[in-house]
Amino acid sequence: MSQVLSNFVRALRAQDVRVSISESVDAGRVAELVGFSDRQVLKDSLSQVLAKTDEEKFAFNDCFDQFFAFEQFERSKAANDQESAENSQSTEDENADGQDSEEGESAPSDGNGQPGEAGSASDDGPSSGGTGSNGDPSGEQGAEAAADRDLAALLESGDAVELQGQLAAAGREVGADRIRLFTQRGLFTRRIMEAMGLDGLNATIDGEQRSSTPEGEARAERLRGMRDDFRLDVRDYVERQLELYTANAGRQLREEVLSKIKISNVDRRDFKLMQSLVRKMAKRLISLNSRRKKKSRRGQLDVRRTIRQNIEFDGLMFDIAWKRTKVDRPKVVAICDVSGSVAQYATFLLMFLYSLTEVLPKVRAFAFSNQMGEVTDLFAEEKIENAIKKALSLHGGGSTDYGRSFEDFESMALDDIDHRTTVLVLGDARSNFGDPRADILDKIHDRARRVIWLNPEGKSLWNTGDSEMRKLSPHCDKAVTCSSLNDLERVVSEILRTAV
Amino acid sequence: MTEPRAEIAKIQEGFAQSGYICNEHIATAIFLAQNLEKPILVEGPPGVGKTELAKATAEFLDLPLIRLQCYEGLDEAKALYEWKYGKQLLYTQVLKEKLGDLMEGANGLKESMDRLHDFDDTFFSEEFLEPRALLKSLWAEHGSVLLIDEIDKSDDEFEAFLLELLSEYQITVPELGTIKAKSSPIVFLTSNNTREIGDALKRRCLHLYIPFPDADLETKIITARVPEVEEGLRKQLVGFVQSLRELELKKVPAVSETIDWARTLILLHARELDTELVRNTLNVLLKFQDDIDNVDSELNALTTAAVAAAE
Repeated sequence: MSQVLSNFVRALRAQDVRVSISESVDAGRVAELVGFSDRQVLKDSLSQVLAKTDEEKFAFNDCFDQFFAFEQFERSKAANDQESAENSQSTEDENADGQDSEEGESAPSDGNGQPGEAGSASDDGPSSGGTGSNGDPSGEQGAEAAADRDLAALLESGDAVELQGQLAAAGREVGADRIRLFTQRGLFTRRIMEAMGLDGLNATIDGEQRSSTPEGEARAERLRGMRDDFRLDVRDYVERQLELYTANAGRQLREEVLSKIKISNVDRRDFKLMQSLVRKMAKRLISLNSRRKKKSRRGQLDVRRTIRQNIEFDGLMFDIAWKRTKVDRPKVVAICDVSGSVAQYATFLLMFLYSLTEVLPKVRAFAFSNQMGEVTDLFAEEKIENAIKKALSLHGGGSTDYGRSFEDFESMALDDIDHRTTVLVLGDARSNFGDPRADILDKIHDRARRVIWLNPEGKSLWNTGDSEMRKLSPHCDKAVTCSSLNDLERVVSEILRTAV
Repeated sequence: MTEPRAEIAKIQEGFAQSGYICNEHIATAIFLAQNLEKPILVEGPPGVGKTELAKATAEFLDLPLIRLQCYEGLDEAKALYEWKYGKQLLYTQVLKEKLGDLMEGANGLKESMDRLHDFDDTFFSEEFLEPRALLKSLWAEHGSVLLIDEIDKSDDEFEAFLLELLSEYQITVPELGTIKAKSSPIVFLTSNNTREIGDALKRRCLHLYIPFPDADLETKIITARVPEVEEGLRKQLVGFVQSLRELELKKVPAVSETIDWARTLILLHARELDTELVRNTLNVLLKFQDDIDNVDSELNALTTAAVAAAE
């Protein structure tokens, strides 16, 4: 597969598009089939092979446009329009082998009608590239003499297309696609310039300067101006590479960190990112658990299926089929503490609760500080930001009173809890020294399939001060610390997995 | 090699002749599927013509269309093959009668067994195989178009079972061994996304997403499918449906519903849209009472806008 395609695949991966190896092989076959000459066809084709969900298609479109962007090419295109038509035929063969798209894209409008030259630029690449990338200009002086002359001549000829082609070739030579940090921009800019014959150009400028004829000095001046302009072009090019390959690296790193650190330590400005992270997590959980499970009920014969299944044994009831029941995803009742003591967590927990209502079909959500209120409808109607804001203003802010809240819960929802319900309590169990009414939690426990308490505080802090975990945790099937996204994901995936 | 663009244009034209109007993107998918011999997974909202695409392809390539509708509990006996049990039983009956002749003059058990082994065993052979959709498409002499409809409705066991078929175009029958396709069929899988399709399956397929068509394309589709509609009305009704899709509805009207609506309007001899007419026929487009109630208040504005835009 060509270098360009594998670079493109890497750029796609940087944009969160998952591309497997077999898919990139397919991409190679596709490129071979349709060639690089028709942009739209190539884009359509590659998108069908590489991007396989809505979001991926979206990312793909952006990435494709960015990766195969040639602004300078566009600029010169207008000037060379008529000639390009004649030339496109001769460059076809060159493109067909899919060797490299940069050449392929720029070659058709090669205004001077020298497709051979564009080809030779890329031919140069591998041979002189090995030494060129070592930044050892002295060793390859001879080999590059031709290129040196070219750069001065090339700049003067104003052939932007050819220049762009050589720039791309030089970029490949020095491995501009391996750029990782923005501090490397200067380094790569210089390397590319050198690979393209900066030394020769400088020598030419010096020579003309020294000749001290008015024409020579004028030329030196002109060349110097061109060189500086060209340096800006190269810098642009390098910056584009940087953006392409590392666009999301920073975000990915931050996401990784965010999913591990304590929620209370998450910065306000990271909340947006956190939100997308929670949503992503919820989505992953859906796709993992979207399948309905089946369970056979031993003891009840499925007569129809048994007869059908045993025709091959001459009707002898040999292989017996039992009736099966489908296992639905669990019913979840979530109770979330949004009081002052967990203010740091409240937003986040509600965010999670909101995402949970999107994952699971039957979720009832409650929020409380000193009184409990149901927020299920609110979540169903409002978008996430508004829903969280409203839930906080309606139920949050007060001092916690677990006893009162559990009483409210008893009157509101206890009847709805049955043997299929998982009750999820999110809170720190700090009840301001009021009676936490553990007896109500016990009632809930009796009726529910499971009661799981998620406490944002570490275990060492449980039972200190007004924390009532000692009284409450015996009535839970499970009481765990849940302070980071990773914790949360673990707990929820367990709930989903062991659904009965 | 022929120019891909020309090939794609040809496909598009061929589809248009059989009444399926599509954009270049869709035609490209068909082109790739033909040349790379890969199945296409078609996703998109219901009613945008995913199934129609397979039908049109079959018609365009002049191949038989073999359709497999997926549902919960679909298993290989229904999708791939089944033994003809009745005939097999008859075969053993016949065999029993012939056995006497065969065993004549055999000395001892060992020799009889040897003779039995030498005897041509056709109990498990293709003759007693009842082919179902998948096997039929593999056996098709000159290739076929295989449509595996609504794959998301099937169980994941079935999805896994399909993997061998999709990547190698072959199927393994335990009693017979591997059956290879006589010529690779063109496979379409459609999904409405009621559940996420597994990665393994996605990896083996080209992925084509068909969105709702834009006004231009939809007008062309109506022209092709309901040619009786006059141009003025056609623009109006397409404009109206397009603006309906912008609203927050439980179920937005699909292309098939636009076609139905166009036919309805023809039946009513309508020449142009007015609010009363739209209100009376809205149930063709919207299938939820809630949606109809929600739209009702805006009906006037929407209709006027659609009529004005079509001028």
